[in-house]
Amino acid sequence: MTSFHAGLADIFEIPVDQIGPGFRLTEKNWDSLAIISCVVLIDECFGMLPSGAELAACATVADLDALVSRAVAA
Amino acid sequence: MRQAMSRSCGQGRARLRAIATALPDTILTNADLAAGHAGWTAEKIFAKTGISERRIAAPGETAADLAFTAATRLFQRDGIDAASIDFVLLCTQTPDHPLPSTACLLQHRLGLSRGCGALDVNLGCSGYVYALSLAKGLIEAGMARRVLLLTADTYSRIVHPADLGTRALFGDGAAASLVDAEPDEQAMIGPFVFGTDGSGGGRLIVQAGGMRHGSGSDAMRTANGPSPADLFMDGPAVMAFALAEVPRAVAALLERSGMDLQQIDLFVFHQANALLLEALRRKLDIPPEKFVVHMAHCGNTVSSSIPFALEHALRKNPQPGRAMLVGFGVGFSWAATNIVIH
Repeated sequence: MTSFHAGLADIFEIPVDQIGPGFRLTEKNWDSLAIISCVVLIDECFGMLPSGAELAACATVADLDALVSRAVAA
Repeated sequence: MRQAMSRSCGQGRARLRAIATALPDTILTNADLAAGHAGWTAEKIFAKTGISERRIAAPGETAADLAFTAATRLFQRDGIDAASIDFVLLCTQTPDHPLPSTACLLQHRLGLSRGCGALDVNLGCSGYVYALSLAKGLIEAGMARRVLLLTADTYSRIVHPADLGTRALFGDGAAASLVDAEPDEQAMIGPFVFGTDGSGGGRLIVQAGGMRHGSGSDAMRTANGPSPADLFMDGPAVMAFALAEVPRAVAALLERSGMDLQQIDLFVFHQANALLLEALRRKLDIPPEKFVVHMAHCGNTVSSSIPFALEHALRKNPQPGRAMLVGFGVGFSWAATNIVIH
């Protein structure tokens, strides 16, 4: 998850140490551009392609971590 | 067998001989787009899209007008006699009318002969490669000698003004390419790989304007936000489609060509946006110096984006060797081919 969290920090333009499970995406710019960037990031980190709806339903970094963990395990 | 093959190739092999492009005059900058919209800045738009400005057709100016300008520029610059064109293909999704085909109107307007075939191709960002395959087929089957391949769109007309994310991507523009016969045994265009997944049709669509939902598109438009008459784009779905299918298409084309990635001198992909192009480049491990990115000042020009990018690359190196072209987008539709330019 380290490179994934580093990529999220880049997307939100914040220091990586601020990216923790409780980080609330919806309090930052979790807009269409951020979601599209996240599709690219998850593909690069995990080789999977989530849908926009799945990503838009995520409220926190923990939700994102769970999404990719479920997909990787499947 | 060799003689039979030679005969089947008509008067020779199809070759992409020249490209000219045309943009409308009006410039829409990132600062224009961001003005009055909290959370949007010119810098953020550029960082996410790789686009700093795009061109917008003037009121009353159509894709056909831009195609006419590009074709006229091609004829004048390269001394091409309009009467020598025996087929015109126009790839557009913003035609002048539901009917007749805009290509027919351009045949007359450009002064092409009455013996000239003309047809429209309704495809978006994959359209250039598809139209190139049609031009090659016409020429190598002996049905045409000189094909004028036009690509033109004015997506600004179908994107709602409030849809900033989509407006940031698309620019209006047109390209004219001349494909003609070369007396050569070696293929200058091809092979081709095609792909379609119509289950993605609703991810990038203008619902209204055809017969399914009625043709009164302008009446359906609203001031408050996008309506069925406006372009709808599910950005993450389009991104995911491209990230999945483009690498597969590239691998399939390389296999069909009997080549590896290192034997390709130049990669010209549909110029969708910088984020996607860079992700594809990294995923395919293509060296940056072989990978053309050209959209900063024109945006995503739909089926014209490949000829715009190719024309830009040819200005820097007129004889790049073997170039791989990959188009992908609305449909979902995709296609890839190799062309030789030397």
